[in-house]
Amino acid sequence: MTTDTRLRRITGHVVLTVLSIACAFPIYWLYATSLRAPGDVHSLTILPWPLSTANYAAAFANNDVARMLANTAIVALLSAAGQLLVGLLAAYAFAAWTFPLRRTLYLMFVGTWLVPFQATMLPNYVLLARLGLLETLAGVIIPNLCSALGVLLLREHLAGFPKELLDAARMDGRSSWNILWTVVVPVIRPALAALGILLVITAWNEYFWPAMVLQRGNAVVQLGLRSFMGTEGNDWGPLMATAGLACLPVFVLYLVLQRHIVQAFVRSGLK
Amino acid sequence: MVTGTFEVVTRPVSRTVPAVRLSGWHRLRRGIVPYAYLAPAVALLVVWTYQPLAQTAYLSFHSWNLVPTSPMAAVGTANYERLLTTGELGEAVWHTVEVIAGMLPFTVAIPVVVALLVRRIRGRAQAVYRALVFAPMLVAPVAGAAVWQWLLDPSAGAVNRVLGTDLNWLNTTSTAQLSLIVITGWHVVGFAVLVVWAGMTGINPDYGDAARVDGATPGQVTRWVTLPLLSPTLAFLGLMTVLLSAQWTFPLIDTLTQGGPVGATTNVYYLLWELGFRSHDAGLAAAAGVLFFVGFIVVAALLTRLADRLTHHDD
Repeated sequence: MTTDTRLRRITGHVVLTVLSIACAFPIYWLYATSLRAPGDVHSLTILPWPLSTANYAAAFANNDVARMLANTAIVALLSAAGQLLVGLLAAYAFAAWTFPLRRTLYLMFVGTWLVPFQATMLPNYVLLARLGLLETLAGVIIPNLCSALGVLLLREHLAGFPKELLDAARMDGRSSWNILWTVVVPVIRPALAALGILLVITAWNEYFWPAMVLQRGNAVVQLGLRSFMGTEGNDWGPLMATAGLACLPVFVLYLVLQRHIVQAFVRSGLK
Repeated sequence: MVTGTFEVVTRPVSRTVPAVRLSGWHRLRRGIVPYAYLAPAVALLVVWTYQPLAQTAYLSFHSWNLVPTSPMAAVGTANYERLLTTGELGEAVWHTVEVIAGMLPFTVAIPVVVALLVRRIRGRAQAVYRALVFAPMLVAPVAGAAVWQWLLDPSAGAVNRVLGTDLNWLNTTSTAQLSLIVITGWHVVGFAVLVVWAGMTGINPDYGDAARVDGATPGQVTRWVTLPLLSPTLAFLGLMTVLLSAQWTFPLIDTLTQGGPVGATTNVYYLLWELGFRSHDAGLAAAAGVLFFVGFIVVAALLTRLADRLTHHDD
């Protein structure tokens, strides 16, 4: 029995080690290549030695990398903040009141899962053009301010919110706005934080919408990276450095908040 | 209390009787409050999702080149006929099916096998594995595309040099699709493993213990207890794979193969993108959009039905 258990544990470790290497190796290779000296970029040694920041210097020199990163940060932070606020208000309405059309309105949010982005792409493009939002960061942010996922997850969280607390606050004659910020928000702050991280990461990595709004421009780092990926004769060192920079903020967040991020993603999937 | 009648009331909503009788004005104001909180979100949905959807349907019966000054001409069902008679659509649908089928091992099969084998790993080791396995999910799709383009580079790439081959993985019809599937699989496999792992942790161990007391072998417990109880999670992953695979591959197609070589990696979404933004054939693209939307709903409904029938709930 004990040898059996030990064998199983060893099998488990072997399986997970293989899977971890398969998952992490490309990321490791990305950073390893980016840190090699320009002459060693094609080297297959596992450890990049001597280390060099020449590729990063080249990336910053060739491209407007700093501006792209700043733009992407603006887009990610503003989108996430807006989505949190809009989602919180909507989820609060669903949680605190019973009202006509409640179910229909709720289904409107669920229904967005069924509308593929590409089915609404052309009219949205035309609308963006008419509003003068094409090729602008506002055009990337504003249309995405309502995250159905955010509304649904927050609503689920608020569904478990103690009704007595709300009722007691109402009895005190406080306004619903006041109750939202002084009673509800403090209690669900952890959920808001988890969702906020999820939304920032999603917005940072978003590709399709910026590609449509900004077309062939490279105002955000995902698109800059694309225009940097020539079809022939890539300059791999600086390219890997740029790709590494495009992932760095998310990985830094991940190092600090690893458990919370994994949980937020898995829970949003388990919904 | 009776709710205000300022909105279309579908059915009367019963409420507890309030302690204080409210004046009509107050009642109206209180009735509006939840709608006010919902207004920003609903307005955004209407403007950027539902109204464009209706417009797509309208556009699909017209011929237009996306230029605001040029007129739109009504063409009846010509766009649909054109779409269904040229082979492009069929091929794109087939490529989409290929990608979905290729993704299922990564989103369902590998995660289940891994989760079953690693149940005994706990604590710090588990945390490290989870962190590593999940990391690719956080890699921006374009950055993932860049590093895989480097790994798969025909002359200098690590894959060819380690395997001793000289394949041009992304530019050969027979391997381009496979490469995209593996890259996308790499992005999501860790996420799927963690979802199954979480699903398995949520299973009450009493069921398995009871079966073992009755003399069931570990294999039987897996087959008749664990997998059935895991089926809602698996159904979710399956549904997600079918509905999202083509979305996941889009950034990779756009950056690595541009739908080629000779259309070998053009899936339904890339086809739509090409029709709209390369050929500027708004009517045809809209018709394709409508067909995909309808197809999406049909597939989703069928799968939910199937999942409901196949899954066992722990109750």
